[in-house]
Amino acid sequence: METLGHLAHGFSVAFTPMNLMWCLLGTTLGTAIGVLPGLGPALTIALLLPITYQVAPEASFILFAGIYYGAMYGGSTTSILLNTPGESATIVTALEGNKMARSGRGGAALATSAIGSFVAGTLGTLGVAFLAPVVVKFALAFGPAEYFSLMVLAFITVSAVLGSSSVRGLTSLFAGFVIGMIGVDLQTGQPRFTFGSTELLDGVDVIIAAVGLFAVGETIYMASRRYAGKDEIVPLKGSLYMTAAEWGRSWKAWLRGAAIGFPIGAMPAGGAEIPTFLSYAVEKKLSKHKQEFGTVGAIEGVAGPEAANNASAAGVLVPMLTLGLPTSATAAIMLSAFQSYGINPGPLLLTTQANLVWGLIASLFIANVILVVLNLPLIGLWVRLLKIPAPHLYAGILVFATVGTYGISQSPIDLVILYLLGAAGFLMRRFDFPTAPVIIGMILGPLAETQFRRAMTISNGDWSVFYKHPLSLTLLTLAFIGLVGPHIWAFIEHRRRRGTEHVPGDA
Amino acid sequence: MLNRRRFLMSTAAASAAGLAGLHHTPAFAEGAPQIQIFVPAAPGGGWDQTGRTMDQVLRSEKLISGSQITNVGGAGGTVGLPQFISQWNGKGNSLMVGGMVMVGAIIANKAANNLTQVTPIARLTGEFEALVVPAESPFKTAADFVAALKADPTKVPVAGGSAGGSDHILFGLIAKTVGVPAANLSYVPFAGGGEALSALLGNQVAAGISGFGEFSEQVKAGALRLLAISADKRQDGIDAPTLKEAGIDVELFNWRGVFAPPGVSDADKAAMITMVEAMAKSDAWATECKNRNWTSILLTGDDYAKFVAEDSARIEAILKDLGLA
Amino acid sequence: MSTINQPAAPSRLAVPELLVGIGLLACAGAVAWQTLAIPVSPLYSKVGPTVFPYLTMVGLAVLSLLLILAAFRGGWQPEEEKETPTDWKAMGFVIIGLLANLLLIRPLGFTAASVIMFVLVCYGFGSRHTLRDALTGLILALAAYFGFARALGVNIGAGFIENQLNAAIDTIIGALGG
Repeated sequence: METLGHLAHGFSVAFTPMNLMWCLLGTTLGTAIGVLPGLGPALTIALLLPITYQVAPEASFILFAGIYYGAMYGGSTTSILLNTPGESATIVTALEGNKMARSGRGGAALATSAIGSFVAGTLGTLGVAFLAPVVVKFALAFGPAEYFSLMVLAFITVSAVLGSSSVRGLTSLFAGFVIGMIGVDLQTGQPRFTFGSTELLDGVDVIIAAVGLFAVGETIYMASRRYAGKDEIVPLKGSLYMTAAEWGRSWKAWLRGAAIGFPIGAMPAGGAEIPTFLSYAVEKKLSKHKQEFGTVGAIEGVAGPEAANNASAAGVLVPMLTLGLPTSATAAIMLSAFQSYGINPGPLLLTTQANLVWGLIASLFIANVILVVLNLPLIGLWVRLLKIPAPHLYAGILVFATVGTYGISQSPIDLVILYLLGAAGFLMRRFDFPTAPVIIGMILGPLAETQFRRAMTISNGDWSVFYKHPLSLTLLTLAFIGLVGPHIWAFIEHRRRRGTEHVPGDA
Repeated sequence: MLNRRRFLMSTAAASAAGLAGLHHTPAFAEGAPQIQIFVPAAPGGGWDQTGRTMDQVLRSEKLISGSQITNVGGAGGTVGLPQFISQWNGKGNSLMVGGMVMVGAIIANKAANNLTQVTPIARLTGEFEALVVPAESPFKTAADFVAALKADPTKVPVAGGSAGGSDHILFGLIAKTVGVPAANLSYVPFAGGGEALSALLGNQVAAGISGFGEFSEQVKAGALRLLAISADKRQDGIDAPTLKEAGIDVELFNWRGVFAPPGVSDADKAAMITMVEAMAKSDAWATECKNRNWTSILLTGDDYAKFVAEDSARIEAILKDLGLA
Repeated sequence: MSTINQPAAPSRLAVPELLVGIGLLACAGAVAWQTLAIPVSPLYSKVGPTVFPYLTMVGLAVLSLLLILAAFRGGWQPEEEKETPTDWKAMGFVIIGLLANLLLIRPLGFTAASVIMFVLVCYGFGSRHTLRDALTGLILALAAYFGFARALGVNIGAGFIENQLNAAIDTIIGALGG
């Protein structure tokens, strides 16, 4: 009840015309920068920090929250339409989303992503308002051993994207491990796989890899196949928005995605990518339309991950607002904005700055509404992007990729990496290797390694941490069931069917 | 349809330009110079904030008419440094932001260039470090911590920032001073302050070392206990001894400063020092420092050059002990 | 990668696939070589920085051997993919466009390099309205450049074009504000 009172007060802060304007501006700007690969919400907020000198704290946080949520929407738009993920959290969206766009269901993919983001964003924000203390307790119980077990669980998602051959799929995964290991080893400070180059010490950005493998690789492949006449893009088939059947397939995926995304987002090292992987795997496992995955595009495979990434974006705010813990780059920048107002973010924030915090939470609700209202009518426009003649479309994608890659780092080395990965993406496409496992390997490999070694350092080399911690054991068990379960299930099915066959014979 | 997308993007961009116009609208103070600020890190980090805060204050104090900030990020500044040395050579209106982290990165990455090749202008700010433990920890004082470390360093996992960074260096210095071999230390590096903090709050490590600002609020709320700080003297409002007072003869500031490129004239160098000094002594700068938990530790010209050289030697020695150089 | 394979018995050696397998084996070799180059200090030896690289190397090597084996058994490419001839010319133009961008972005600046890439890629994809393409590319690149440089204060590689425009805009702002 107390929370409701706070929330009502928060809405009274957010619902002033000026603050609504900031929210609108933030969401618009967020959508625009979400579209650009490489330019994320963290960087944008960092660059707009000087605003804090000019306006009231409420206004700038409402602006920042709008940018943060908006970027998640914008990132999925380019993932779906151009196969060029704008944010790392929307890489998975590209897998099914772009397939849908190419087979004429881009409108439905964009709609399920917008509405799913709204649903999950709202649920997540409700979670921030009502569940924060519980969730944060759970999140802090996650130590390195638990994280490692979570990674192991996440690895079973690879099986969902392996494609037609597990040997080739695993090869992609291992290639991802190698790319992910490039750079300074966090635990010991030693350079790995850098071939003596200073530029490689920071590693390869996962967005650059995704854009290279997906977008640049695709462009080269399309050029090499120009006269083959296959893979023609169908801009629109059927209704622009979702059909009743597509609604029916989406809503459960949204809820599941939100349930996966929110708690993982709240974990200090959870991030937004892992919940999207997990959600994708869950949806593929549960879907009744498995044949659509990877071919014409399955709507569940867009709805789930999109919901998961927005819920995780809300989850990130839990430790930030309750403990002053920044668990993502964006949260860290927002905390430094608090500092420039002389507000010290910490465990006392909620009591000392109740106005600000509840105003922020209320504006998150408003941002979600604005985003869905803003994005749904735009879908008609976006889909027409697919009608751009191939030369301009593909040339534009390459310019786009350059802006994001070169723009931030100013380093030609990043362009070299982008194009090399583009060449690799082309070869992989040509020889039927799936590209998604490379990205999964790049993200999960180093995380799993770091957490494993961290756990071993803390426990002083004692392996038992992984099964003596109840949470860790639970996660490992889940992973085991996920991996072995389907086989056992198939075996039982097989036996049962054979059994029933016998019965009529006997009778 | 490209047109409409462009239209959308440019409207968004234009509205942002209105907002962030303060970046660029030149304030045209008569006769004040235009300067270039080179930040060898990505936008958003500590050096970038130093650069952008300098830009704000210099402009509000009418010391410059405007500035252009260039970010070349990567590898603790060792990607940007060679560029600054070769491509910015002789540009008298340019400043590079740098600091202790760069000194460490140059040594750990075995970089080809180092800070003796640029022109030291001024050390501006420093952040002292804090040694903290979870509230439930049995360690009540720094002496308890040292005693446990001496008994068996492998049983005292300490969380902090990246390997070879300022937190790791301080841990190494503490161990060295109390006679614990660096090779036995159990240091658990985390990528960001938030992650290390959560390991402490979750009681997964024995202690943590990081910039004081990272921990101050948790200490205030009673979630962490502050054992000691690495400042040179007691700080107002902080109820903890310095390491020296606690019997560990170590002092460490994670300092940040500015450098001019190589090959600038003495007149340019003097002008830069005067300008930066005026900025660092202004009230606006003092307010920024207070808000951001920076301690102003101004040191200019040759004294600064001497300090950089000494600090480099000290860091190199400790990184060798830690097996990183 | 050429298309020499005739429709043959499935047991026939597939040369392109074999090359892919060998290439991957070479990658595993490179991983091993670079892993040996990782300096391992005597400290932190609980689980050092080379353990995971070695595991990855072994995995990669085993997988590439499996792929080579598959190549000897006739490869895995679908017939459709094998029979489609590669359009070397179109692909060449795209690659030249990428290389031009890479080499020119420093000396000429972002906008000019982008326009050149845009035109070359459009040409590769069969567009023959080079002037119109150049104009489209120019507008796209300028919009991107000013989005970054003006709105966010990030300088994404100014060249001649950008500097002229920036100077012009500053003059206008100065005049308006003045």
